[in-house]
Amino acid sequence: MTIRTDNRLLDGAPMQSLACRQCGAAVQVRKASWQQTSIQWDEDATNACLERRATGGGACGDVFLGCTALSETIAQAALDGVVTVPDDLYEHEESQ
Amino acid sequence: MHVERTDLLKGWVNVTVEVDNDEVRTIEAEAVPTRFARGWHCLGLSEKFKDGKPHTVRAFGQKLVVFQSGDGKLNVLDAYCRHMGGDLSQGTIKGNEIACPFHDWRWGGDGRCTEIPYSRRVPRRARTAAWPTLDQDGMLFLWNDPEGNPPPAEVTIPRIEGATSDGWTDWVWNETVVHTNCREVIDNVVDMAHFFYVHNSFPTFFKNVFEGHVATQYMNGTARADMTQHAKDGALKMLGNTSVASYYGPSFMIDDLTYHYEGMDVQAVLLNCHYPIDANSFVLHSGIIVERSEKFPGEAADEMARTMSKYILSGFNQDVEIWRNKTRIDNPLLCEEDGPVYQLRRWYEQFYVDVADVTPEMVERFEFELDTSRPIEAWKKEVEQNLARRAAEGQPA
Repeated sequence: MTIRTDNRLLDGAPMQSLACRQCGAAVQVRKASWQQTSIQWDEDATNACLERRATGGGACGDVFLGCTALSETIAQAALDGVVTVPDDLYEHEESQ
Repeated sequence: MHVERTDLLKGWVNVTVEVDNDEVRTIEAEAVPTRFARGWHCLGLSEKFKDGKPHTVRAFGQKLVVFQSGDGKLNVLDAYCRHMGGDLSQGTIKGNEIACPFHDWRWGGDGRCTEIPYSRRVPRRARTAAWPTLDQDGMLFLWNDPEGNPPPAEVTIPRIEGATSDGWTDWVWNETVVHTNCREVIDNVVDMAHFFYVHNSFPTFFKNVFEGHVATQYMNGTARADMTQHAKDGALKMLGNTSVASYYGPSFMIDDLTYHYEGMDVQAVLLNCHYPIDANSFVLHSGIIVERSEKFPGEAADEMARTMSKYILSGFNQDVEIWRNKTRIDNPLLCEEDGPVYQLRRWYEQFYVDVADVTPEMVERFEFELDTSRPIEAWKKEVEQNLARRAAEGQPA
């Protein structure tokens, strides 16, 4: 089956490159809002991640929830405007 | 054309609808795949197949025979005898072989004909299709691979500790036949909003992780004041739940589920698994075990497991009702609060292509996280409105 492209990637923000400030793992990141984050890893990034390695990397049924250092990197990048966060309509209206 | 509408849902949130053009969105769907997924599939509780009789199972577009050989092992073969096409699942178990009811040809669990009682010699090529099996934690699994390779060592079904422990209940098991393609049940992994609208739950945190052959859904939820909880029990008030559910391969999901009550937690393991009968139907299974605790010792935990099982079954029925009436859609139109449907399908595709054709994008790690503060504002309103309406109608909340 042909796997199609997410309409949100076609019409909204694209994925952006970002390197983790702890290990340097380069991932693709997208934020649809301040509340939402997507992260696309590749093999090099998963191998580079220190936290993933420390937790066994999801072997034997233990799933690796996520890297806190990478989450912090993304949060800071969003605040710094390095990762674009679309205007949040809802928050915008709340503040009116 | 650009239209702004702020009149919708007046009074609680303004909604802006942007319409870029007048084109009608078309639903697209390719034909359902004729190939069946590579991976371990659970056929149900293994006990069921250990009654000394062969069992008929319709799966992967074929008729299979499941039988326990004299050595205690569970075996799965193509049901049709390679001699004259007799149905082995109507035959008899004789020692380590299944005997065909037509001419008594004997077939071993490895798919080889070992004996023809009325003939001096078994012909060459007397070999039928056999599926590798796994009898683990009270369940029978079968490895399906259209390429005919054995299961790789790293593709396993994890052990479930509680399944063999006296500290937990036995499996409470249910099976239902669903008449649609099994991709529908997979989509639930990412479909956060349907948990509110279809299953009356209230997600407050949602995350998906896909990596390798595993797809995981993390979800926290709170109890809905406008819905009766399945385990409402006198003074025991349900607060919410924490759920970590992973598909190991294309069809077997283990959900580590914690129900939070005032002053205590209840641990449960929920299984949600299926195997395809053919391209347009599948058998959906649910299994549940509950940990015995101080509040739920002995029989109380069994009772809890049975009650939860009924609740889960009613959840399946809610899904089935949607699936019976919906259409297959390859190009879902998603809003930003929806989960990663396209990325999930990219992950799922790995099981439908040859191993050599699995691309990095299908197996590389992908994460999607949503703090549900925006959806829950709308959902809080709906819960409040339900409660207010009932109060006005003089019904108990």
